[in-house]
Amino acid sequence: MIEVKHLTKRYGTRLAVDNISFKAGAGEIVGLLGPNGAGKTTTMRILTGFMPPNGGSATIAGFDVMRNSVKARGQVGYLPERVPVYPDMTVHGYVAFWAKLRGAPNPRAQADQVLERVQLSDRRNTLIRNLSKGMRQRLGLAQALVHNPPVVILDEPTIGIDPQQVIEVRDEVRKLGQDHTVLLSTHILSEAEQVCDRVIIINKGHIVAQGKPAELRRKLQPEMHLYVVLGGKRDGGEKLLRSISGVEAVEASGEGFNVRVKKGADIRTELIDKALRAGYNIQEMRPVMMTLENMFLDIIGREA
Amino acid sequence: MPGVFTVFQREIGSYFTSLYAYLIAFAILIITGILFITDLDNAAGQRPPDPSVIPTFLSFAMIFFAPLLTMRLLAEEKREGTLELLLTSPASDTGIVVGKFLGSWAYFTLILAITFIYQIILIGIAQPDLVHAISAYLGIWLYGGACLAVGMVFSAITENQIVAAFLASAILFLLWIGDRVGQVVTNIDFARVLRELTLQGHFSTSFAYGLLHAEDVVYFAGIIVVMLFITIRLVESNRWR
Repeated sequence: MIEVKHLTKRYGTRLAVDNISFKAGAGEIVGLLGPNGAGKTTTMRILTGFMPPNGGSATIAGFDVMRNSVKARGQVGYLPERVPVYPDMTVHGYVAFWAKLRGAPNPRAQADQVLERVQLSDRRNTLIRNLSKGMRQRLGLAQALVHNPPVVILDEPTIGIDPQQVIEVRDEVRKLGQDHTVLLSTHILSEAEQVCDRVIIINKGHIVAQGKPAELRRKLQPEMHLYVVLGGKRDGGEKLLRSISGVEAVEASGEGFNVRVKKGADIRTELIDKALRAGYNIQEMRPVMMTLENMFLDIIGREA
Repeated sequence: MPGVFTVFQREIGSYFTSLYAYLIAFAILIITGILFITDLDNAAGQRPPDPSVIPTFLSFAMIFFAPLLTMRLLAEEKREGTLELLLTSPASDTGIVVGKFLGSWAYFTLILAITFIYQIILIGIAQPDLVHAISAYLGIWLYGGACLAVGMVFSAITENQIVAAFLASAILFLLWIGDRVGQVVTNIDFARVLRELTLQGHFSTSFAYGLLHAEDVVYFAGIIVVMLFITIRLVESNRWR
């Protein structure tokens, strides 16, 4: 559905997007993840046909965004970061306007349907200037979906709205995956992890990692961490843990210990064995997941 | 030009839902109403009423009213961010600009049509020269279109509506006053060239007298086309920044 090849965009001498390539298949929800200024918005603006790239190509549903721009633009629903509205229009009038402009066969009925979907039907005839921020965000989503495009591009869809509404928007995005290809950008990692089928981490204009959230975690997590709480005896726990082969580091944390294990090693059986023999009992032992958050900071840090 | 009709419709709608468009119409109608009565009063028993009194007034007033009608067109879209959505819709840049221009021109046409009621009132009480009136109205209709097109260029230049209106007014004033300058310049050829370039030069001695010259129609149509072309390029330039 979306295919990006060697995309490059320069603002003056500053390279905003540097040789990015990725694909998104039908019904896939892909997250562009990166800090502010990483090139997420620029990539999206190229895909929506707002600005031309300096190099490379991008196609939406088979249409090149440069050579066949009008066709490609018709395949996309786009929600920019700051929801653009006409404050003096009614909710329904606004959505119907975009439906019509994008060539929807039945703009008024489709506007009604999409308003139902984003739960704004009761505000149908309200002037947009009187809507709350969360409602505007949903209105922006309605605008992007009204012509039922195969590809939906959402730039930071959950920014600046309250937590309850964040959950609603995320649910809505997840549902979109059933019949749309979704590309969304975010700098919130847990969001990408919850919502996306695939995550592309970009920093300073190029892709630093991509894959399924679980895959990324496996690939980037260098060693296993265990959290162990020993009972029975008071002292000597740390020494015991250090004596197990494969353990790289042990540090006390709360009631127990954080144990870092060499990549590929599995110390669990040995640990239980040794501990019991030494007269300890094991009250807790669990693997500690490196959160995407840490991974992300780690990657970005390595870049810098 | 895909999108032209949809944009036109929205633009017309937005004039009818904004207070300031009503205020402009109100101002134009009340001033022209007073002018009409004053002229009728002066003419009574002495001369036929002047059919071009209102178009002649508007030829000056459009310096201020045209920018007020057009300042919003693109400046607001840019500030609110809706321009980004317009430019990523399947509508062409030309369609967007032409649609907006036609919207503002249609609103101006409506105000103008309301003032034509004065001519119809005259039919009941005098024997007005209707052909003269129609020529003057046709002239001010084209003249107004040209002023709106100039105003639109400045709306595309800036995000600030007040700056847009001010700059457009200044340029229109120059185009208007050029005719006066032509009257005091000693070199007759230079004066003639100046006059040919100004808005008044193609209105005050032709349309306003009931004369319809092809060159005047071409002049106003030419201004509209050139200004729209510049506006389209300016809108397009948003893609390259």
